[in-house]
Amino acid sequence: MFDKVLIANRGEIALRIHRACREMGISTVAIHSTADADAMHVRLADESVCIGPPPAAQSYLNIPAIIAACEITSPDAIHPGYGFLAENASFAQIVEEHGYVFIGPTPDHMRLMGDKISAKEAMKARGVPVMPGSDGPIEDVSAGLAIAEEIGYPVLVKASAGGGGKGLKMAPDPASLPDAMALARAEARAAFGDDTLYLEKFLVNPRHIEIQVLADEHGNVIHLGERDCSLQRRHQKILEEAPAAALNDDQRAALGATVVEAVRGLGYRGLGTVEFLFEDGEFYFIEMNTRLQVEHPVTEMITGIDLVREQIRVAAGAPLSFAQDDIRFQGHAIECRINAENSETMMPSPGTITSYHAPGGLGVRVDSALYAGYSIPTAYDSMIAKLIVHGANRNECLMRLRRALEEFVIEGVDSTIPLHRRLIADPDFVNGVYDVTWLERFLET
Amino acid sequence: MAPKKTTDQQTKEKKMAVTKAVKFDVDSDLIRRLADLMAETGLSEIELGDGDLRLRVVGGAGNVQAVSVAASPLTAEPSPNPQPATAADAAAPPPGAVPSPMVGTVYVAPEPGAAPYVSVGDRVSKDDILFVIEAMKVMNPIRSPRAGTVTEIMVENGGPVEFGETLLVLG
Repeated sequence: MFDKVLIANRGEIALRIHRACREMGISTVAIHSTADADAMHVRLADESVCIGPPPAAQSYLNIPAIIAACEITSPDAIHPGYGFLAENASFAQIVEEHGYVFIGPTPDHMRLMGDKISAKEAMKARGVPVMPGSDGPIEDVSAGLAIAEEIGYPVLVKASAGGGGKGLKMAPDPASLPDAMALARAEARAAFGDDTLYLEKFLVNPRHIEIQVLADEHGNVIHLGERDCSLQRRHQKILEEAPAAALNDDQRAALGATVVEAVRGLGYRGLGTVEFLFEDGEFYFIEMNTRLQVEHPVTEMITGIDLVREQIRVAAGAPLSFAQDDIRFQGHAIECRINAENSETMMPSPGTITSYHAPGGLGVRVDSALYAGYSIPTAYDSMIAKLIVHGANRNECLMRLRRALEEFVIEGVDSTIPLHRRLIADPDFVNGVYDVTWLERFLET
Repeated sequence: MAPKKTTDQQTKEKKMAVTKAVKFDVDSDLIRRLADLMAETGLSEIELGDGDLRLRVVGGAGNVQAVSVAASPLTAEPSPNPQPATAADAAAPPPGAVPSPMVGTVYVAPEPGAAPYVSVGDRVSKDDILFVIEAMKVMNPIRSPRAGTVTEIMVENGGPVEFGETLLVLG
């Protein structure tokens, strides 16, 4: 096992990884920008290295600086967290070329899944249901029109290198397709430096369901059930829950088995999330995330398994410590992402936390790097806390979540706590009747 | 080999710097009046001279009230992992400090056994090489940002250096 791990991230996820390491007897190295010198992950880590100024491009995305930080602290492995360099295959390769272990999949698997077209082909070839669409890049408008005619409108124009909703445009009819393609191409070029586009059928009211998988390098692969992440705003997840109310046990077992076989066939190692849209009883593969997910705690709460610990173990070459039959799904869990944003206007609200009180009690977990007096830097993501609640069933979970949101105090900045309080009081949400379009409609009312 | 923790550069700037010449009795009332004047006028710096004696009051935030408000929560929060403060950490970088532009391993000479690029007392010109910092097996020459005399060298040969850490002081 590793003696020392460098955590190449910040905020709550850096703290989350630190916690897993400490429980495994692994010492930690925090890296940080000058804006994060007082951050909790820096305070708690065994060692810390300032690697650059506030802009992420010069600090948390600065590969030479991160490798230099490794050279002066000598960790065995690097954990990339999520975001920043977590899905950068070149980074993973550089890390390994310098003799450190990258806690994640191989660079080849990251490349395969990082390209949406090759990912879809790889999954389709292994029996995973995929969205009908162009089986590759679309060169021009006439090719796009021909394919859209075949699969039926509405269609979605997507950037091959896409993510976070960039380069994503919907066309309801043939007349709007040329404009949608031009806009998607321009966005993709600006955001990713790659304007390759492809086309997919657009589902009107789907749910976002994702399967958590875990694989070791000895060919053992298991799934840890699904999460429903349908509550999204501008393609950003706001609240996630597990298990998904829309799935029955047979659907769960069947989809899980299909995904496990595909992942085994790929020879994949580490944690992964295979994302699907679900409509009218059918699943359609969207993408595979080759990293730890923000919403991983809901899976931890219903399985009792520390995913970061397992991720570190398999990166060190250890076999999985359990088989599929050992996995038990118990109760229900919901995660609320708390952002430093105004609940009404959704405007970011950086500033100093004047007062902070996290909720507690049975079944309540808060993953956050906040403390009273902490200044939220303007240079990074606005997510400042995750509230995760577990209950014996969905109803108990909702009652507990309501109680925990009442207790949660974050003063000095605006937060999305009021939004979550409204959200969980809505009859549609209470009844579990929502899809990926629901939250945006809810916010308009 | 734990690299030292550094305090936030911005909080350092918010601390009010008071410099005075030798033999100058500190007139705290005068300083307080000047600080009030700065807060009132929005001035960021006031300097007074009387013969050999000079008094300069600098408020980095431009507002004295802001200093106490911003500083108290930071100091009130106990660090879960307090690190012994070193001379370099405790105070703002001295005037003339040359900060490291990168993280890495610092070398004072081009090769082991060779004479150091600079020693205390040396005059350096702008763009003279002061150190070499190794990062990712690449040797990066660190050049002087300006001309001056080396008054203090703050790093050890072969030691780790963080971004922003003071390498040396130019007088």
